[in-house]
Amino acid sequence: MKRSPALLALTLSAALLSAPLARAAACCHAPAPEHEAAAFSEKSLYQLDATWTDDRGNALTLGSLQGRPVVLAMVFANCSYACPILVNDMQRLRAALPDEVRERAQFVLVSFDHERDTPAALAAYRERVGLDPEYWTLLHGEPENIQELAMLLGIKFRRTPAGDYAHSNVITILNEQGEIVHQRPGLQGEVATAAKALTLVSR
Amino acid sequence: MNTTAARALCFAALAVVLAAAPFVARGEVAMRTIPAGEFKPLIRAVDEPASVAVAAFEIDERPVTNAEFLEFVTANPKWQRSRISRLFSDIGYLADWAGDLELGPSSPADAPVVRVSWFAARAYAAWRGKRLPTTAEWELAATPGYTTADGSTEPAYRNAVLAWFARPTPWPLPAVGQTPANLHGLRDLNTLVWEWVSDFNTALVTGESRGDTGLDRTLFCGGAAGGARDLTNYPAFMRAGFRSSLQARYVVPNLGFRCARDLPVEPTAIDPASEASASVILSAAKNPLGVSQPDIAANRSLDSSLRSE
Repeated sequence: MKRSPALLALTLSAALLSAPLARAAACCHAPAPEHEAAAFSEKSLYQLDATWTDDRGNALTLGSLQGRPVVLAMVFANCSYACPILVNDMQRLRAALPDEVRERAQFVLVSFDHERDTPAALAAYRERVGLDPEYWTLLHGEPENIQELAMLLGIKFRRTPAGDYAHSNVITILNEQGEIVHQRPGLQGEVATAAKALTLVSR
Repeated sequence: MNTTAARALCFAALAVVLAAAPFVARGEVAMRTIPAGEFKPLIRAVDEPASVAVAAFEIDERPVTNAEFLEFVTANPKWQRSRISRLFSDIGYLADWAGDLELGPSSPADAPVVRVSWFAARAYAAWRGKRLPTTAEWELAATPGYTTADGSTEPAYRNAVLAWFARPTPWPLPAVGQTPANLHGLRDLNTLVWEWVSDFNTALVTGESRGDTGLDRTLFCGGAAGGARDLTNYPAFMRAGFRSSLQARYVVPNLGFRCARDLPVEPTAIDPASEASASVILSAAKNPLGVSQPDIAANRSLDSSLRSE
């Protein structure tokens, strides 16, 4: 009788602990959850399980963008040359879209600069450049996730000794499933082709 | 009663910890510590420093084997041959294995795993609680010879490396750990398979140069060798050329990998000055991209000309 509370506690604790145990095992030696494989297509970038933080501090995966066409570029806020042009190109692209496509398209900027481009710094950047929160998502990530995304987009980048980034300039269009449907390399080029690609995937 | 209950809870928690512990230790390969040092890139862009500070780190003594990779895909089915997403690997991933979970005669258990993409190598490393080495780390680890600090000037070592380049890859691949260790105690560097590094393609000098910024135009064509530090270090040119020819999805019949990890930060007396300098070193080490690779014309044809088939 005296021991029963302890036994009860043991039983209870075993029950309580079995859930964390299952989670701990899943980390290394049990099959990882594979919902992503079922949810997204083979070519979808939304299979990535990396977590990003937007400029309001919300954690999200790229998969949460599913269902809207996406225009994505990698930049960094302290960039004085290429990135402002690249963002300007995206704004021009946005302006060139038919109204109904412009309403649906999501514009995403992912920062190379995991050290300086904190969510707060990205919020300040959004303010400075004037990017509407309803249509523009600014993402901060961990270095390995930035590297992985860059690999998948075919973007090369390198941190310079000064702490800036040398990088490829590419605007990528994703369809609603997160598949790359169009890429525009370079700066200040025409945006009509990208606008057309975006319009096609918005139907 | 509360005490008893608390104690029971403690026991239960302890049991969980003890049960989990063996999983952590299983499948461990010996790791060697590489002391902090300087990596001098063979070829660098104009805006790059002549050397990159590399913090001390640990690296696997030898490449990852088929048996070890089999453990990984067994525990992580989405990385099995029939299930891997095309996003993360070209066709041909683990093609020498007999099946998803079967090695077969072409892939001895103790031979290095090959035909794995950068994504797969990286996922394996993360699963082991490790990561891929950076180019700077790998090159620093591979700098010594068998007996001296600079293998490129040690005839026996240099000849062994050149001999590997000269002969076709034996098939099936021999077991890991059979070649003599270098001064750091590392085996099979340069003499068994090529190895992935985390930042294999950071060079901004590419076929898609229209899309690049920060280019050093002198790195094009014959200009490449002009900026080189050491024109005689043929193996280093080969590695640089090979790496720059890769893409993260590629699978190559003689490209494997080994894992690395940061040294645990040692608790020291709180001294703001030393703390500051330590963080400088750490941030340098965390900058795997402070290294430029040349775009030697070797490129796509390189891996096919080097494989045994």
